[in-house]
Amino acid sequence: MTMPPKGRPVLLETKRFALRSLKPADASERWMNWLKDPEVMGPLNAPIRKWTVQELMAHIASANNIERYLVGIFDLTSKVQIGFYMVDVDPFHRRATFNIVIGEKSWWGKGVINETRAALLDEFFDNRGIEKAAGTPFARNFPAVFNYKAQGWRHEGTFRGHCASVADGSRLDQFQFGLTKDEWRGLRGKTAP
Amino acid sequence: MNESERAKKLLAEAANCDPAAIPDDVRIGRFERWDSLAHLRLVLGIETQIGRQLDADESVRIETLADIAALLTPAR
Repeated sequence: MTMPPKGRPVLLETKRFALRSLKPADASERWMNWLKDPEVMGPLNAPIRKWTVQELMAHIASANNIERYLVGIFDLTSKVQIGFYMVDVDPFHRRATFNIVIGEKSWWGKGVINETRAALLDEFFDNRGIEKAAGTPFARNFPAVFNYKAQGWRHEGTFRGHCASVADGSRLDQFQFGLTKDEWRGLRGKTAP
Repeated sequence: MNESERAKKLLAEAANCDPAAIPDDVRIGRFERWDSLAHLRLVLGIETQIGRQLDADESVRIETLADIAALLTPAR
């Protein structure tokens, strides 16, 4: 049987965190608990999932580090995973769409996302051929909206009533935020090669 | 208290700091205490003050004290 192709794993470090592509062996009770916590999943409008460890392992294995990356965020001090990124890449359009879950609530409001996403943006723009980054937070996910704006992403548009709420079926507005490679270089004070 | 002062007071409450600590030219992402959770409290505080939910276009525009003050200003 031919195995599907796998890309180069992500392995990065920031001041406080390690970021690395996840493996099925990273499936944990901690992660499964995030998936069934309405406080964690609600702002993402994601359904509550009571996955088994085998289901979570299969989900992790579906990321090939080419078109989909699952990157864990690990506290450097405790070595504990506190969240993860799911980055979907469109290779033709050289575009990466970022989704983030910080499952450990004790880390909320502590700048985790913009510290770690900066490292990922450097990696995807500088080393993985990406030229456009995108993010689509729900309009009432105010912390996520804050993070995009504080990091210098541009609000490119609003999808009105774009999705049905998994909680009550009401219509939810969703934003499109974007950042080009050149804009990110400008924010980082880098010059084009 | 005018809208500008009310805006600073609201942001100070959300950021859990003294209003005097907030620069007049404060901007989202440029003031450490204005973090993601403070932003959540700020938007909910504005909604409480004006008695309704902000729509998406209003909430995404919040970047400065002037933006907050504009939302607190009654429509004329």
